[in-house]
Amino acid sequence: MFVWGEPEGELGINFDHIWQKTLTVLNPLKPADGSIMNETDLAGPILFCVALGATLLLAGKVQFGYIYGMSAIGCLGIYALLNLMSSSGVSYGCVASVLGYCLLPMVILSSGAVFFSLQGTIGTVLALVIIVWCSLSASKIFISALDMEGQQLLIAYPCALLYGLFALLTVF
Amino acid sequence: MAAVDDLQFEEFGDVATSLAANPDATTINIEGPGETPKRLGPPRGSGREEDDELLGNDDSDKTELLAGQKKSSPFWTFEYYQTFFDVDTYQVFDRIKGSLLPIPGKNFVRLYIRSNPDLYGPFWICATLVFAIAISGNLSNFLIHLGEKTYHYVPEFRKVSIAATIIYAYAWLVPFALWGFLLWRNSKVMNIVSYSFLEIVCVYGYSLFIYIPTAILWIIPQKAVRWILVMMALGISGSVLAMTFWPAVREDNRRVALATIVTIVLLHTLLSVGCLAYFFDAPEVDHLPTTAVVPNQTVVAAKSS
Repeated sequence: MFVWGEPEGELGINFDHIWQKTLTVLNPLKPADGSIMNETDLAGPILFCVALGATLLLAGKVQFGYIYGMSAIGCLGIYALLNLMSSSGVSYGCVASVLGYCLLPMVILSSGAVFFSLQGTIGTVLALVIIVWCSLSASKIFISALDMEGQQLLIAYPCALLYGLFALLTVF
Repeated sequence: MAAVDDLQFEEFGDVATSLAANPDATTINIEGPGETPKRLGPPRGSGREEDDELLGNDDSDKTELLAGQKKSSPFWTFEYYQTFFDVDTYQVFDRIKGSLLPIPGKNFVRLYIRSNPDLYGPFWICATLVFAIAISGNLSNFLIHLGEKTYHYVPEFRKVSIAATIIYAYAWLVPFALWGFLLWRNSKVMNIVSYSFLEIVCVYGYSLFIYIPTAILWIIPQKAVRWILVMMALGISGSVLAMTFWPAVREDNRRVALATIVTIVLLHTLLSVGCLAYFFDAPEVDHLPTTAVVPNQTVVAAKSS
């Protein structure tokens, strides 16, 4: 039986999965499906990183180097921590993929920074909300993919520190 | 086959020898109701009753047995360290709560750690403390010099690395020295209670938690407030440490025991006072000259009227 190959399948980018993962990130309170992280793709994360850099550029800050540097080192730290805390290991690509997807709310924050300055009470509160949003989504995906219930807040805290650094980059 | 007092090998030895002599014989092993299980620890002494209160858990023998089976992977793999991160959220919160509420007679290690020391708590508490001190120090300096026109605020990132070095060195080197010292004393005097290196690291790490809100409150530029905060934090974490290590040195020479506890508290004091002095500028008392001027003016006005 002859089956035509799907165009996105040949490119290796599965738009449906990317959209699904994005929806999971945008709704941090809904429990995640553990199987969505089975194929790790870096297309979405790279897109969000570039979007973050672009919105920061629009706000007048040229900091691509810091973004990529902090992402790499932060991913390494979370990768080590997850391997220590979970009974099954994770790959570096999976960690980078999840952290990259959960960067989406930060892109929203930095696009807000284009229109109004974030230094001030409202900006600080907004940044804190976004940090909590990002880290809750990331920890939710990690614990459902790695079967680590009971440890969500323990994972969320280091993720919050990492996203806090990104927020500092965005606000100041 | 010498019979040791606490180890009841006699029955097993008989069975073994009789089986060795006659492999085909069937043997019946009837356990009496009053048989006590094999003890792994040192012989029971008079101080054991108090330690039972402190133990808070009767299955400590089981956990000792399990603890002996832990480390089997080589130390350069992740698996070796996985046993030290095997904690749930509520366990970490419980341990933090235990470090904030020192109850006399309750031993932090026996009650909360129970042969499951974790490295997650100490590592992240130290990291948070480093950030808290660095950020609060910068913020307080910024606020103190806010009105001065000649002062240009520069965020000092160098202080982050200094704070990190100091706090991580304290959290690892002092437990290491204390562990070595206790080991040395254990060889001289038989102590009932002895702690492993990781348990000591754990206690020190969790005892530093109280300094996180203290560091944030140190932003308030009042000298009296800051010193009251130091006293309170020192009281709480110092008493947690003292109550943890008192059972370990109690059996020893009175002077050595007291000297050990005093040294522990002294080092803790040094850390907190040093952090306060180095990272937080003293609030200036420059409003004093203006208040001295006003009474003079009222006196002059009273004289001239």
